[in-house]
Amino acid sequence: MSAQGGGGGGGGGTGGAAGDQKDRKRKESILDLSKYLDKPIRVKFSGGREAAGTLKGYDPLVNLVLDDTTEYMRDSDDPYKLTEETRTLGLVVCRGTSVVLICPVDGMESIPNPFLNPET
Amino acid sequence: MMANFPPGTATLLEEIDKKLMVVLRDGRTLIGYLRSIDQFANLVLHRTIERIHVGKEYGDIPHGVLIIRGENVVLLGEVAQEKEMNMPLKKVSGNEILKARKKEQEQKTDQDKRMAKALRERGLNYIPDLSHDDMF
Amino acid sequence: MLPLTLLRTAQNHPMLVELKNGETYNGHLVSCDNWMNINLREVICTSRDGDKFWKMPECYIRGSTIKYLRIPDEVIDMVKEETVVKARSRTDMKGRGGGQRNRGGGQSKTLDSDGDCLTVG
Repeated sequence: MSAQGGGGGGGGGTGGAAGDQKDRKRKESILDLSKYLDKPIRVKFSGGREAAGTLKGYDPLVNLVLDDTTEYMRDSDDPYKLTEETRTLGLVVCRGTSVVLICPVDGMESIPNPFLNPET
Repeated sequence: MMANFPPGTATLLEEIDKKLMVVLRDGRTLIGYLRSIDQFANLVLHRTIERIHVGKEYGDIPHGVLIIRGENVVLLGEVAQEKEMNMPLKKVSGNEILKARKKEQEQKTDQDKRMAKALRERGLNYIPDLSHDDMF
Repeated sequence: MLPLTLLRTAQNHPMLVELKNGETYNGHLVSCDNWMNINLREVICTSRDGDKFWKMPECYIRGSTIKYLRIPDEVIDMVKEETVVKARSRTDMKGRGGGQRNRGGGQSKTLDSDGDCLTVG
C-alpha cells in the first residue's frame, strides 16, 4: 500500500472486487531487485550523481542499501559530465525518490560510438 | 475514460488527429499528428519531425512515433498549413541544418568563454549558459 | 488508445528513450507500468553531448525522469488492431451491463477518432 502512495500520487479510488484485483496487479513491481542482491549495481540519481555498490537491501519504494559504494565525481562546471575521479562512500542508503536508473555493473562498459556507420 | 477527464486536458481532445506543433522544456520544436492523450497530458505524436531553426534557415529531422511525457511540454498549437507554406524562411536538408546548428553552438560556447574570461579579468563571475540548468 | 497503452504494446520492440537530463537509452522494452517506469534490455546509453557511449545488458528507468520515448512506426498500427478487437469483445459484453462498463464505452469513443485517422492517414 505504501508503495502505491509513494509512486502513484493521485490514483483514483479503487474499491470492491475489481479494485482488489487491480491492487494485486499493481503490487507486482516491474523491478525485481532480488536478482541484484549481493551483486554490484550502478545507480544514477536525479541531479546527476552516480554511484556503484553491492546491493544489500531494498524496499518497495526503491530505497536501496549499497555496500562498498563508489561515487563517480563530476565536472565542476557541468554536473552532468563524469570525470575519471571517484570517491569511496562505503555503506550507504539511497533514497528511492531520487533514483533515476538502476543497472547491473556486470556487462556495463564504455564503448566507442556504435551509431557512426549510418551517420557519416 | 475520456468522459472522466478534467476540463484541462479534455480541451486537447479537440486537437486529436490534427497537425500540431509541440515545444518542449528543452526548447525543441516537434511537429506531428496528435493521435492520443491521457489525463497527464502525455501525448502520442505520429509522423513527427523535429524542426530546427538557425537564422533564416530551417530543417526537419524525422522522428516517427513519439510518446511525450506531458510535464515536458511548454506549448502545443495547431499548425496553419497555408501559413506554413509562406514562411520567409529557407528549408534546407536535415544534415545541413544539423551542421549549421553545430556551428552556431560552437560560436556560442566560444563567445561564452571569451565573455567569462573578460569578466574574470575585471573581477566578476560569469556563469555561461544558465539555460541548460533547467533541470526540473 | 492511450499513450501508456501504446507503450505497453511496444513491449519487446526496440525504442529510444530520452531522459530529462538529456541522456538517451536505446534498447528493447521489456516491461513498463502505470507510472511509465520501464525495463530495457540490450541497452546503449548515450551521454547528453552525444560523445560518450555505454553498453549495458539491462536497466530500469524511473518513469518520472523520462522526456519522451521514440517507438517504431509499426507499433501504432498494432495498437489500432488491438483496440478494435478489444472494442468488439467489449460491445459483446455490453448486454450484461454494470458500473465499470461505462468506462469501456468512453474508451471506444477514442477509438472512433482513431478510426477516422485510419481513413485520413
